[in-house]
Amino acid sequence: MKSQPRRSLRRPTVPSLAETQSRMRGAVVDGEIAAIAPLLVGGRDPARRLAIHARHYQASLVAAIRTKFPAAAWLLGTAVLREAAQEFVRQHPPAGPCIAEYGEQFPRFLSRHVGAARVPYLYSFAELEWHLGQVAIAIHRPVATPDAFSALEIDTLMDTGLALQGGLHYLHAAWPVDELMKLYLTDTAPSEYRLASEDIWLEVHGARGEFHFRRLDAAEFVFGKAILEGKSIGNAAEQALEVDAGFDIGRAFTTLIDSGYVIEAAPPERRGEE
Amino acid sequence: MTSHCCVPLGAGIGLRLPHIAEVVVARPSVRWLEIHPENFLANPHATELLLEARCDYPISVHTVGVSVGSVGGVDHVHLKRVSTLVEMIKPILVSGHLAWSTHDGEYLNDLLPLPYDDETLRLVAAHIDEVQEYLQRPYLLENPSSYVGFETSTMGELEFLCELVRRTGCRLLCDVSNVYLSAHNMGYDPYRYLDGLPVEAVDELHLGGFTAEEDEAEPGSYALVDTHAARIAEPAWGLYAHAIRRFGAKPTLIEWDNDIPSFATLLAEAARADEVAAAALAPEAHRAVVG
Repeated sequence: MKSQPRRSLRRPTVPSLAETQSRMRGAVVDGEIAAIAPLLVGGRDPARRLAIHARHYQASLVAAIRTKFPAAAWLLGTAVLREAAQEFVRQHPPAGPCIAEYGEQFPRFLSRHVGAARVPYLYSFAELEWHLGQVAIAIHRPVATPDAFSALEIDTLMDTGLALQGGLHYLHAAWPVDELMKLYLTDTAPSEYRLASEDIWLEVHGARGEFHFRRLDAAEFVFGKAILEGKSIGNAAEQALEVDAGFDIGRAFTTLIDSGYVIEAAPPERRGEE
Repeated sequence: MTSHCCVPLGAGIGLRLPHIAEVVVARPSVRWLEIHPENFLANPHATELLLEARCDYPISVHTVGVSVGSVGGVDHVHLKRVSTLVEMIKPILVSGHLAWSTHDGEYLNDLLPLPYDDETLRLVAAHIDEVQEYLQRPYLLENPSSYVGFETSTMGELEFLCELVRRTGCRLLCDVSNVYLSAHNMGYDPYRYLDGLPVEAVDELHLGGFTAEEDEAEPGSYALVDTHAARIAEPAWGLYAHAIRRFGAKPTLIEWDNDIPSFATLLAEAARADEVAAAALAPEAHRAVVG
């Protein structure tokens, strides 16, 4: 057995538990051990023992970020991504214990990282990667049957909302990052590749370990995104028509249904909004 | 409060995401499985597979994010999510840690140590009451793996745990590997620690691998780190046999969370746990202890 923990001659003033935990948080996240060290026992140098917790915090979360952004690492190099992840976990601890939800802010953080300054499309690329990861852990729920729509009164159809699959996301980017992502996914990157700025509107869909993405036109994108955000069919169509006066609501509506994206129709009395 | 009446004695395995599809398809022979709800709550696909697995295996829920030691209180949003999962899978046991991990809206992704004094005791007891009330079932509390303690503690870990049991009626999850590791790191006798736990309160045992790291402050000596990234160490098996003799046959979990091996390796560790337990409970082993 090891020697007994070292004891100082004077007991430190007993801080409240709140103060103790605040100091401990500073040590684990920020590496500021001076404030907590006098309170600790364990081994010859308890402050160094505390580094076990700090290392675990850092290593586990950096690993989580690296696991979620392998394409960004491919683009930037693993050293730059790791460095950015280390800084990210120091500045942005998780808000909750489900680490699958951690990292949504990383694309924005990464795009401002000093090592990423020469990659203007990095934010969009990393954001696309985040969404691919999220839809891949979704499930495909049973789609709404034709009965769900036939039961709707024609005069309430435009006030009806649609519940869509959880694995359906919409993403706008100012760079053709979908093409770049395809190069990564198919391992077919040429030695040189130039991206020109270009607005793209993506539908990202996935479930049970798989994902797909495809481009939409701007109006179809706005319509689908508005539906996903809980807007009624009519309201979503109005938004789409503002983008493109020739927007075909019937086609967009049918596409959502035929794609198996609609899981429920929610008539106005059940939506309780608008 | 109710809990599952059919808690299997013997070894179970911690079900981690890399194995879940294999378990659902192959249905390996194992008595029970334990999950961390935090791995499932934000992962609908994994939850779907878990619901399939629960048809064939008793499931225990072992939380890492219900922070009963946090001054800021239990995270009610998280507790509600855990409760929803508990309702869905009807686990045999629900457990968590004597530790804290949330601070001012942040989750620190580790099980951090607490000073053992009256203030902490009141706080943790109140939070355990809250969790048990919310879940409407007993909550099992796991002894921590310790690298440091607090100069300001006014009681030992054993006394603290026993008092929590007395005040809240919570149950204990004795992590035998943690006992070994903490005793090594903090300099006490792990066998005496086990002997001090209230027998009637221990409902589950854990066994996990740890890693020796050179103690930077003491070259040539080492600290044991609770990595769950290796086989169970030989001395921990010896301590486990002692635990079985003291507490009787208990559901015993094999935990392996990092550098996760094949499921077959975990099954082999589970089989060894059953062998060690059987040998410890054999009449001659009892006579040896009594004698």
